[in-house]
Amino acid sequence: MNILLKDINKRFGDQPVLQSIDLSVQSGEFIAILGPSGCGKTTLLRLLAGFENPSDGEIYFGNERVASSLTWAPAEKRNVGMVFQSFALWPHMTVREHVEFPLRYGKKRTDTSRIESVLKAVGLSALAKRFPSELSGGQKQRVSFARAIAASPDILLMDEPLSNLDAELRLEMRREIQQLHRYTKATIIYVTHDQGEALAMSDRMVIMRDGKVEQVGTPREIYNQPKTEFVAKFVGKANLIPGEWNQEKFIPRYAEEGVFWTDSETSDVFRKKGLFPLRPEQLFLHRIGPGIKGEIVNSQYQGKEIHYTVQVHEERWEVHSNIFQDYHIGEEVFIKHKSHTLSL
Amino acid sequence: MMGERIQIETQGYHGQANPSVPPLFSRMFTRMTTGIGLLLVLVFFGLPIIKLIVLSFVSHTGISLENYAILFREGRTWTTIGNTLFLSISSTLLAIVLGVLTAWLVAYANIRGKKLMHAMILISFVIPSYVMTLSWTQFLAADGLMARMLSFLTGEVVKPWNLYSYDGMIFMLGIHHYPLVYLLSLSGFRRIPRELEWASRISGVGRWKTFFLVTLPLSVPGIVSGGLMAFLASLDNFGIPAFLGIPAHISVLSTSIYEQMTGFGPESIARAAALSGVLGVFSLVATWIQWLWLRRFKPIESVREDYEPRFYFSNFKLAVEIVVWIVLLILSFIPLLTMGFQSFLRAYGVPIRFENLTLANYEFILFENTKVQHAILNSFVLAGASVMICLVIGTGIAYLRVRKPNLVIRGVEMIVGLPYAIPGVVFALAMILAWMEPIPGWNPGIYGSMTILLLAYIGRFLILQVRGSMTAMMQVDQYVEEAAHISGASRFYKWKKVLIPLMLPGILNGVLLVFLTALTELTVSSILWSSGTETIGVVIFNFEQAGSTKYSTALSNLIVFVMVISAICYFSFNVRKRKEHKR
Repeated sequence: MNILLKDINKRFGDQPVLQSIDLSVQSGEFIAILGPSGCGKTTLLRLLAGFENPSDGEIYFGNERVASSLTWAPAEKRNVGMVFQSFALWPHMTVREHVEFPLRYGKKRTDTSRIESVLKAVGLSALAKRFPSELSGGQKQRVSFARAIAASPDILLMDEPLSNLDAELRLEMRREIQQLHRYTKATIIYVTHDQGEALAMSDRMVIMRDGKVEQVGTPREIYNQPKTEFVAKFVGKANLIPGEWNQEKFIPRYAEEGVFWTDSETSDVFRKKGLFPLRPEQLFLHRIGPGIKGEIVNSQYQGKEIHYTVQVHEERWEVHSNIFQDYHIGEEVFIKHKSHTLSL
Repeated sequence: MMGERIQIETQGYHGQANPSVPPLFSRMFTRMTTGIGLLLVLVFFGLPIIKLIVLSFVSHTGISLENYAILFREGRTWTTIGNTLFLSISSTLLAIVLGVLTAWLVAYANIRGKKLMHAMILISFVIPSYVMTLSWTQFLAADGLMARMLSFLTGEVVKPWNLYSYDGMIFMLGIHHYPLVYLLSLSGFRRIPRELEWASRISGVGRWKTFFLVTLPLSVPGIVSGGLMAFLASLDNFGIPAFLGIPAHISVLSTSIYEQMTGFGPESIARAAALSGVLGVFSLVATWIQWLWLRRFKPIESVREDYEPRFYFSNFKLAVEIVVWIVLLILSFIPLLTMGFQSFLRAYGVPIRFENLTLANYEFILFENTKVQHAILNSFVLAGASVMICLVIGTGIAYLRVRKPNLVIRGVEMIVGLPYAIPGVVFALAMILAWMEPIPGWNPGIYGSMTILLLAYIGRFLILQVRGSMTAMMQVDQYVEEAAHISGASRFYKWKKVLIPLMLPGILNGVLLVFLTALTELTVSSILWSSGTETIGVVIFNFEQAGSTKYSTALSNLIVFVMVISAICYFSFNVRKRKEHKR
């Protein structure tokens, strides 16, 4: 089902939490909403769920207006499924009763024969009689998925569903969520603060900050062509290197005469400000110039690579290099741009 | 700096010196103290109850069921049992309705003034039941405030509700015990994570259905525990059936045991013991049923309490608030206020005019009547002594129970809790049987003196201090104690700077509870008192039975006054503490 958000504002008291959010989501799309804590992403999800109403603006599910500043359909009247960060399982009900719940008591009552196929889809058939206290973290999350998709909702909302699981399980559950998406064909709105999850699973990403949308785009666009400093730093952990743009030529400010890097994809926002956003893996270090001269101030051995922090004048940049390049703290190095190693 | 280090080292040395005590000797010493402690607990707490049970089976034919057989052959017994169950069950239902409703409002709704509401609700329980009853009988008297208000409104002479009746007793028991249900339901409601309700809403289930399918089942353990406490308290209650039931000839188990004991017939003790057996069985069965019930419920995993409102009254908010406050003021405040006015009146029932106001009632009880003066002194002495002894023993038990739990100390906790779990009249009777002649043929004169009252008070209220101190200690993490050690604090500073400041508020809660309960005790005292050892509760009861309402009213007001003062001290202490923490 399509979702349309028109100029949504939300204030708690005088404090604005969401400011003029416009977003259009295609039916069956997987949208990840990414932002640091306190950026308003969870509030946005609650507006979609129907637990809050917007202060201004309108929300449409398909052609139906489900919320405006005046009227809003409560959660139970929207055909939406939701997965909560805390799983939100009912301690007094078995796995089976959780899946049965929306089918038996919900507004949109469906054939209860779906229970078996839903349980099977999330791999819980064998555990149907267990209570939540008898399940592991991953199993609890599966119950939460099963309950959310039981009534075949058109829209599935997920509020940081993996943040309560350990790292190993998180990777496994990513695949399960992708399968779930293919199985239900529902529109998914997935809130997270982990850019890895968003990049890996979503069709499009919405980057939020301080209640506003910073950028909307496919994971590749967001990662490779950030439109704002925040997106470049938050998603790609990019270094914002100052310098001068001349068409496709970038002359870094702290490099010696004659050094220039070329690039055609960088957004105009950065060109105007004289910045070149480069992620740690787009740079490399060398003992000999030319390049930007700096000093190693920190190093972290990661196994497959080494993360160096390099001090250049007032700024500190992050550079990832392979494990064969061993620099000690205090050593003088030159920072170079990877795609242009051959030209220089 | 250097000095500190040396000090730490010497401490380490002392620490190592300890094991040089012969292990065999220290183990024997530990065993001996454990044994003596256990023995004392058994003698003071367990033995009286065992003796009572045994005695209920002893009659002139030897050990038999004869006492019970005689009892059950009388129709009066069955009426009494029926009354007891009917009153307890009905009043528990009323307490549950009131308690759950108020708890839901305070936990969930977006109404204002919740802290004051909370305090207002607790007043109903903190004020002793006989004082509450006294205030209500005056509030609803034929020429009381309610009657005047109603006649003013309707223009006719209206006779308000007669409290000396079944429904009056149910009402009084219900409004006295609903705070128990309220307190337990409140924390139950707050512990339900709001996501659990949201998950239901998003599954397509509306507000009301969500309440019945999710909220209510999850709060059942709290509600049932509160309901059981209300039920046990109703079985146990003596003040309300004594003040309302005896004049109306409605007898319940607690009052008929009392009447047996004061009747002094030849068979009276055996009959009272048998009646106590019946009452004790009811308490145990109720506890057992609750245990069976609660076992079926799965606990909520989170323990965090959510204080934010979840239900928004938009248009009706003010109306709800007004209704809630009118009800609360009537339940907890206005009757006490009427009693306050009444105590300054020259005679019962005269109109409130300046020339009818007098301090004579207070003058009489405070300065003229030596019996009252003695009673006040007795009650303060008993409450003070109980507090000190309970503080030391109770905190000791609590420390062992929290930090060094083993089977023995768990057993001790259970035995110590027993006298509070069984009805007060039953325990009082047990005390008489145990101390009249502790060893056959030897009467140490404990029964009939202040000592038996003190022993009974300690027996009954020690568990309150144990619980209070336990809560206080559980809030202080083991790591906090270890952090003090590792920072090099000596044992003295560890207690002075870390443990005592952290535990003090909780321990004081226990102290205050023991003090106020002991000061206003009626049930146990009404059976154990003798001439010269009257307590405040007993004197009020005697005044009331003799028809001297003026004096019972004035004395009840003094109790309310003491409680208000205690409450003010308590809150100002807490506020000061909180401010210190903020700084």
